[in-house]
Amino acid sequence: MKKTVIGTIGGGALLFLAACGGNGTSGEGDVDLDWLTTPSYSPQATNEEEADYISGKIAEFEEEFPDVNINMDLQSTDIDEAMSRLLEQANTGRAPDVAAIDGFYFQRFIDYLQPLDELFEEYDMDIDDFLPFAQDVIKGEDGQIYGLYMNTDTRVLFYNTEVVEEPPATWDEAIELSLDIQEDGYSGLLFPGGRGEGTAVTTLWPLFWAQGGELVDEDGNPSFGEGENREKMLNVLSQIDTAVQSGATPQRVSSYGGENDLNEEIAGGSAAMFLGGNWQLSFMRETLGEDFENWDVAPLPQIEENQFATSAGGWAWGIFAEEEDKQEAAFDLITRLFISEQGMSEWINVHGGLPSRESVYESEYFEGDEFSDVFREYLEDANVRPASPRYNEISNQMQIAVSEVISGSKTPEEALDDAWSVVNED
Amino acid sequence: MKTTQAGQKKKAGRWRDSPLPWLLPLGIILTFVFLYPVFEIVRFSFTNASLMDTDYEYTIGSFLRLVQLPGFYQMLTVTGIFVFASVFFQLFFGFLIALIIDRGQQLKMRGTVAVRTAVLTAWAIPGVIIGIIWRIMYNETESGIFNHFVSLFGMDTMPFLSDPQMALFAVTLANIWRGTAFSMILLYAGIQTLPKDVMEAAKIDGASAFQRLTKVMLPMLAPIILINLIIISIDTFNTFDMVMALTGGGPGQSTEVIALSIYTSIFREFNLGHGAATAVVLLIINVGMTLVYLKILGKREER
Repeated sequence: MKKTVIGTIGGGALLFLAACGGNGTSGEGDVDLDWLTTPSYSPQATNEEEADYISGKIAEFEEEFPDVNINMDLQSTDIDEAMSRLLEQANTGRAPDVAAIDGFYFQRFIDYLQPLDELFEEYDMDIDDFLPFAQDVIKGEDGQIYGLYMNTDTRVLFYNTEVVEEPPATWDEAIELSLDIQEDGYSGLLFPGGRGEGTAVTTLWPLFWAQGGELVDEDGNPSFGEGENREKMLNVLSQIDTAVQSGATPQRVSSYGGENDLNEEIAGGSAAMFLGGNWQLSFMRETLGEDFENWDVAPLPQIEENQFATSAGGWAWGIFAEEEDKQEAAFDLITRLFISEQGMSEWINVHGGLPSRESVYESEYFEGDEFSDVFREYLEDANVRPASPRYNEISNQMQIAVSEVISGSKTPEEALDDAWSVVNED
Repeated sequence: MKTTQAGQKKKAGRWRDSPLPWLLPLGIILTFVFLYPVFEIVRFSFTNASLMDTDYEYTIGSFLRLVQLPGFYQMLTVTGIFVFASVFFQLFFGFLIALIIDRGQQLKMRGTVAVRTAVLTAWAIPGVIIGIIWRIMYNETESGIFNHFVSLFGMDTMPFLSDPQMALFAVTLANIWRGTAFSMILLYAGIQTLPKDVMEAAKIDGASAFQRLTKVMLPMLAPIILINLIIISIDTFNTFDMVMALTGGGPGQSTEVIALSIYTSIFREFNLGHGAATAVVLLIINVGMTLVYLKILGKREER
């Protein structure tokens, strides 16, 4: 069993220690499989259906692989913290045999992961069945496959068809529409605009990517604040500024850091148009009752017509174990749980989310809903955040910048220049 | 006789009288759980370490970068306002409530224990939960609790969390609410220890209620007020959980206090060197404050 003494911070003092433990063995010939997962992808998931699903599949696995002992270890629910700790373990050769890795961190782990091409073949899985962005994530530069992408998610415009007849394709249209619907007592265009990753992936990056903007250069260094990229990012901040200044978007969005921060307004019935994540549908279905039928989704509005971009998220599994028997056991376990046609379908049926494999959308096991095919279409051209080690800093500084613009404390130029100077201050 | 006893003690060995065996376990524990982390923080502050990479170099770049950042002086100002207002009002309201409860008890009024417990609850709730509770209260739509009352008066909703100045005020108010109970309990305990005869003597001598408060009670309570000040100042400087749940430091960096900035640097941006340098600034402030208070306290005791 591996134990990690978590670095804690508080009282101005930081304890940053990592202690390691050895693998426990439980019998000669047995294989100990160290499985690092997040609480929500484990038998300890808070949702009973998910916990039962995982426990059931593990029981099946244990029946088929009686000589494999699964040593489960849970990651912190703080994703950044969990990923930095896992990377530290991988750096020092103490990585678990198989681990859940947030999709946009995945490329940083590839040097430590085992290629899975042979196992893909053995299990009759085709990499081309995965959605394009997922392939980009799990394939290495050498063309080999290093991961198993599980369920995914995407960002869209949600709108109430009773209030908004035609979804706006551009922000200018959205602003005009917002001003109209506010006269009927609805809030204008809502989106996460505060400090939180939701602001970056839902509001900022799709607008930036749709113009062809690049957050980092080929070496992973920040590039969003210079040359053409600066212009494009400035367009993004200026467009958001215009929405707030015109009164189309309320200033309060500067305190919403995540998509779910909008839920209260959605439940209150005043929201008629917002940028959010596909997973919010289940919340809307539960809270809006019959009114839910009036809601529809559309691509995120852009600065210019005919532009398109959205973000995709989700996690992938990587296998660190060098021993073949462990690799096979790990591959079987993860595939059975989350990746095979049946596994991914059944998992999404209880957990929610969207399949990352094309074939699963057609699968007899997959229940889906009325929006699944629309999301699938958007996911075909979805982007993922860059795998640069500098990404988190860029994201945090741009979240600060946009919330400053929305709250009126800085102009778009000042906010962008300050963010750029901070990430380049090294 | 005295000489013989001393001789015997000497013979029994140095260890018996030495405080060392008693202090050693504590010393070892303190070294590992306090001194070592502090040493590590200072060491990392002179590096360009990142949580994403095991390699790092020694440099003073983290400190230089820190003071050159556009938000550094804003962070100090925000922290200063947050701490000063929190400490002042926590002490003020804590003392007021302690006095009221004490008076209530003297008058044998019912419910003083209930009031004390109710106030203490605020202190017992974890910071993150307090942040979430206040976030709900500050909700900027009309369904927000405060904004509902504002709308009853026909006023526009208030931007409690989305206006930079208002957000700092909102965070400070929530922290005052959170910390008042602690000051109240300390000061209430202090008031209970005051000699009743002195207060009565002052009353018989014709001192007014205000004079009894300022000339008799407050001077006698001074040591406990100072200890209270030290504890709540350091506590407030180190607050980040409640702020993180309430505003996340935003909008912009308008509520990013030093402790939250350290957390953000290390666990959001993975910049261990920069975060450690910020932590050293906080450490210096805390140590400096403690020394000042201890000096004042020491002087008072000498008198």
